[in-house]
Amino acid sequence: MRDVSFKLEPGAFAFLRGASGAGKSTLLKLIYRELEPSSGQVLVNGRNVALIPRKKVPFLRRTIGVVFQDFRLIPRRTIFENIGYLPRILGVGLPERKRLAYQTLRRVGLAHRMNSLPLQLSGGEQQRVAIARALINQPEILIADEPTGNLDPELSWEIMRLFVEINGKGTTVLLATHDPSFVQAVGGRVLSLDRGRLVGDKVVERQSRLVSISVVDPVASDQEADAGEPSS
Amino acid sequence: MSLFRILAYFLGEALVSLWRSWRVSLLAIMTIAMSILIGGTFLLLSGNLSRVVENWRQEAKVIVYLQSSAAASDLDRVRALSSQPAWVSSVHEVSGSEASLRFRETFPSVQDVLKSWENEPLPASLEVGFDLSQASNEVFESWLETLRSDPAVIMVDEDRDWLRQLDAFIGILRGVGAVVGLALLGAAVITIGSVIRLTAYLYRDEIAVMRLVGATELYIRGPFFFEGLIQGLLGGLLAVLGLYLGFLGVNPKGSTILLGTVLVDRFLPWQTILALLGVATLAGCLGAVLSLRREDLTAE
Repeated sequence: MRDVSFKLEPGAFAFLRGASGAGKSTLLKLIYRELEPSSGQVLVNGRNVALIPRKKVPFLRRTIGVVFQDFRLIPRRTIFENIGYLPRILGVGLPERKRLAYQTLRRVGLAHRMNSLPLQLSGGEQQRVAIARALINQPEILIADEPTGNLDPELSWEIMRLFVEINGKGTTVLLATHDPSFVQAVGGRVLSLDRGRLVGDKVVERQSRLVSISVVDPVASDQEADAGEPSS
Repeated sequence: MSLFRILAYFLGEALVSLWRSWRVSLLAIMTIAMSILIGGTFLLLSGNLSRVVENWRQEAKVIVYLQSSAAASDLDRVRALSSQPAWVSSVHEVSGSEASLRFRETFPSVQDVLKSWENEPLPASLEVGFDLSQASNEVFESWLETLRSDPAVIMVDEDRDWLRQLDAFIGILRGVGAVVGLALLGAAVITIGSVIRLTAYLYRDEIAVMRLVGATELYIRGPFFFEGLIQGLLGGLLAVLGLYLGFLGVNPKGSTILLGTVLVDRFLPWQTILALLGVATLAGCLGAVLSLRREDLTAE
């Protein structure tokens, strides 16, 4: 990549656009230090991530939620175990982990699937679990690399609404996509890449009808009305 | 995160991993069990043999066989010569008839042989007990030579030669045990390392996700180290159990067979058992450490 310079303010919603091979995934990997830049700087909260010692990289990643096209859930573990992994290694006890997992899954409308295995869920549900996993530690930044790439159009819109809702609560969202319809519907800042170069940086108006829609998990709503606590 | 919770996490993850891939884990456990079992068997045999040899050494005697035609004064001279040194602890005279009686008791199946001989077929002898720590080898040899050259003496027999041979045999036994045990232990380390590397390879996607959400190397590698440790410990326990069952099988109560009464009379002391378990556990850990290079844990 070369000639790529931009700054995202806290709470921003930005699309990273470009054809396959344009460098979207590479740019995202540079942000969460999966790759290191040969030159230049990537600053996250003012800190040059390339200068973070290898041993400290996990602490950077705990502040950045990452969502992938292929979900990357651990198939052998339940939804609770998948999203509760980070709290677990942070030393959060089981009851608190369950509460956190329940709350986060409720945000994505899947509180009732806590004990399911990933393969028992649809593609859209798996992606919502992946988003929940990215959100559980309340990251300041949420990065998504083609999060709707494996989903049908209806599920894709559902996931896109979820990102808008998450952004509405103050999380900075940087979303890589090659689908222009999302950009048109959701709006926000659009960074265009072409063969590793930043070739466009503009702001598109958001369509208000999309933002007003939210995902509601009926089971979770019922449970919340009954007790307000997880039952697992 | 408290140390207890970290260890509990490692243990939990390691047990889950062992359960998921129990076939290859069993292979690793059996390999280390086999190496410890063989090493332990050599230790058991050589330990018992050493104890027996030590007992024999303490009971070692010089037997001076006397001419039956010798004059009484000559025999007195030999008796005096035998009991003279300060390091001689006892002198017991065995008559020809007592020697015959002993022979019959020791070899009852061939006692009839004696009947075809003369009335007193076996010579009288002096059994001389001694404490070698009190005498130098040269003085002892010189004393033996004096006895051998006495005309009233047929021959002088002493135990030191075969005790030396037994000592050498024990040394060889220990050496072979150490070499075989170490070779098998090395094989066990490689097997455990391979099993853990295979497990890490199978879970590489899972490991990649762990890294992605912010797991440190300690949390990624810790469970694998514990897996190796558990495999080593289980292998060691299995080996000690097998060794003990083998010991009970060879040495039942009241056994009179040579192997049972002499070579495996006592089981290994608890310190040796702990050492064997420690070696097995360390071998497991070593296998895990050697197998878990960073690139092995990196997803495609």
